[in-house]
Amino acid sequence: MRNIAPTPPSSARRLRWLLALPKLGIVLLLTAILSLLWLLHRNEMEEERAALIKDVLWLEQSLRFHLNSNEEQLQQLAADLTGQAGAKKLFRLRAGHQLKNNPEISQLLWFDAQGSVIDALPTTTLPDQEIAAFGPPVAAKAFELASRLGKRYYSEPFFLEGNRAVVELMNPIFDEGQLKGMLVVVYPLDALLGNLVPWWFTEKYKVEIIDDNDIQYATKTNIDSKGSQSYEIPFDPPGFGMKLRISNYQNADNSLQRGLTLAIFALAAGVFWSLWIVRDLMKKRSQAEEALSAEHAFRTAMEDSLTVGMRARDLNGKVIYVNPAFCKITGFSREEIVGTSPPMPYWVPEQIEETFAQHQRVMAGNAPPDGFEITFMRKNGERFDALVYEAKLIDGKGQHTGWMASILDVTERNRAEEFARMQHEQLQFTSRLVTMGEMASTLAHELNQPLAAIASYNTGCLNLLDRPACDVREIRPALEKIGVQAQRAGKIIRRVHDFVRKSEPKRAPCALGEVIEDCLGFVEPDARKRRIRIECTIPGLPPIPADRLMLEQVLLNLIRNGMEAMAATPEADRVLHIATETTDSELRISVSDQGCGIAPEIRDKLFTAFFTTKPEGMGVGLSICRSIIEFHRGRLWAEDNTHSPTGSGTIFAFTLPLEAA
Amino acid sequence: MSAPQAHLVDDDDAIRDALAWLLKSRGLPCATYASAECFLAAWSPAMSGCVVLDMRMSGMSGLDCFDQLRERGSILPVIFLTGHGDVPLAVGTLKKGAFDFFEKPLNDNELATRIAEAMELDTRQRAENATVDSVNSRLSSLTTRERQIMELVLAGKFNKVIADELNISMRTVEVHRANLFDKMQIKTAVELANLLKPGR
Repeated sequence: MRNIAPTPPSSARRLRWLLALPKLGIVLLLTAILSLLWLLHRNEMEEERAALIKDVLWLEQSLRFHLNSNEEQLQQLAADLTGQAGAKKLFRLRAGHQLKNNPEISQLLWFDAQGSVIDALPTTTLPDQEIAAFGPPVAAKAFELASRLGKRYYSEPFFLEGNRAVVELMNPIFDEGQLKGMLVVVYPLDALLGNLVPWWFTEKYKVEIIDDNDIQYATKTNIDSKGSQSYEIPFDPPGFGMKLRISNYQNADNSLQRGLTLAIFALAAGVFWSLWIVRDLMKKRSQAEEALSAEHAFRTAMEDSLTVGMRARDLNGKVIYVNPAFCKITGFSREEIVGTSPPMPYWVPEQIEETFAQHQRVMAGNAPPDGFEITFMRKNGERFDALVYEAKLIDGKGQHTGWMASILDVTERNRAEEFARMQHEQLQFTSRLVTMGEMASTLAHELNQPLAAIASYNTGCLNLLDRPACDVREIRPALEKIGVQAQRAGKIIRRVHDFVRKSEPKRAPCALGEVIEDCLGFVEPDARKRRIRIECTIPGLPPIPADRLMLEQVLLNLIRNGMEAMAATPEADRVLHIATETTDSELRISVSDQGCGIAPEIRDKLFTAFFTTKPEGMGVGLSICRSIIEFHRGRLWAEDNTHSPTGSGTIFAFTLPLEAA
Repeated sequence: MSAPQAHLVDDDDAIRDALAWLLKSRGLPCATYASAECFLAAWSPAMSGCVVLDMRMSGMSGLDCFDQLRERGSILPVIFLTGHGDVPLAVGTLKKGAFDFFEKPLNDNELATRIAEAMELDTRQRAENATVDSVNSRLSSLTTRERQIMELVLAGKFNKVIADELNISMRTVEVHRANLFDKMQIKTAVELANLLKPGR
């Protein structure tokens, strides 16, 4: 299990920055867009307002003009109605004409000075009669004021049935300073708006007539919706605190703009959302990257901590990867190996053909599944035994891209095994010695007893014989006992013979060739270390009855002696030669070295037990060897190597009979 | 005290018999034991003479037997018989106080001679021990005043000086001195000094 580091690595911090930047940008962009929109909106409002004011002024003006022209026509009519004979006819004509031309006028009345209706169009019904219930009739007040002022006068607005607000225009008719009557025009305010406000105006604006108390007298609108802005202007005439209120509608442009704003918000939200998702993705990705790098570090650490050398090669045999352990084992650096093709720098020059053949086998996919042992060379020239396992290198796509090998330095192990073997051999040797030693000691002790008894009896007898009064009969039992003890000693000696017979070699048919080969396998590492070549010619040898273990011991001893004798010999001449000869009756095996030879004064003691020239020798090797060979009814001897190029050297030779006796 | 004898301890019948024969031929009395255990069972402080111990025996070894004897406070001289290879061991026993050791096969009369010497040594030692014991018992019968006077006599002082030092009359010193000499069974101060020399 691995822990992801608790502190966020710099990449995560950078990522956070990277993620924050677009957010900041978007916020700024939004602010800019919104302020632009707001500015536009304000400009638009101002423009709208300006347009509104202009339109309002125009409307007010056109209303005033219209009312003024109506006033003038009325005044003209009033003037024409005085002193005319066909006044009634004229009124009908002119009033009808005026009504036709001015649809905003609902009624034109002609009163006499007393306020009675002379004539009226379209009906003679008084409009204010219907609202007599509403306090003092406004019309009457206006009538009175107009007559008193002697000029036209608008009444206050008042409501009729059906909540219709109405304004009346009083126009007194004077004739030579005498009030002759009154012309009254009834303007329903909604009709006024309805007829005098053009259609395009109502498309844009809502037009209302209100007073200070916000009482609505009339309105002309198609749609009742809240305007964004409005403008009020006094409506005079008729006056009396009446105002025109113009409100503009939310036009389509406005909604488009709002839509645009909304869209911008929506887009911003979308961008934020996508950023969020991207952030998540990036987070996940960075986590994955972190995990990957941690994994990679973990794997690298694992590879680097291996004591097994790892080497990867591509299909052409070029090295593409080695781990530190491999470098450590071979002593070459990574750069010296990666990229090289066979022959490799760590191949042993004198075994290049075998190594290359092995390499070809691996490349052909015929590497032994349980590995193979091969000798490689370190950079310093030191040889080492490597145990190599080869396996296919499969990449992520499942393609076979090369070969992965694990290389184990088994020199130590082999050395240890060999050491253990030698130890074992030495132990066997020693145990035999110990056995012999113990036997000798036991034998000595056992023989001591009867001998001591014999000596004591004997001394006693002699003492008695020395006495002057010596009775020979006294001596007899002692002499008999001496005889018994002597027999006892004889029995002990026989037991020793039996023991020796038991430990005689166990002869079984054995192939001497195999024995020699085993020994060579045994001493090979030692020979390599000492830079000694071992030449060996073994023709097919008949099997001989022998104790294989004992023969091996003899051979090993002779080979080792030979190798040790060549310690001071020049390297080129360090050759140990093992040869065999067969005659009718016996085999002759010789081990020749080109070493220092044997000094003549030592020659005679060579096979003596406990004689040695080695500082740690026990001096039993050669004597035991000779005993073993003599057990086999053969002979062992040493002679000078007269053929040696160094001029000195020894040949140890032994014979073995071919037939079991 | 039993009569001095050579006590032969060996698990080999022939050796015991042969040694007994040899000692008899020299007129030395001996007793034989087939094992260390048997010998230890028969041992008592009154046993005198010497012990001849075989080093290697089945059962208790000669060395263990030797240690046992020393533990029990035996003063019997011990002669070891060894086989070959036990010589270093035997030398160790000499350091521990063994009388001697002999390697088998035995050297005719040498062993018998050493056995005789060992027995003589034992006899001598016992006599000395007896003397020491008697001197100790005589000393323990002295009174405090007699002991004081003995010290001063041994220091070579005259009666007069002794009387001055102990603040007693010359006469009294003479009486005490006579009693002291009686109890120690001596006649002169020189004899007293000789008697107490080894113990001091």
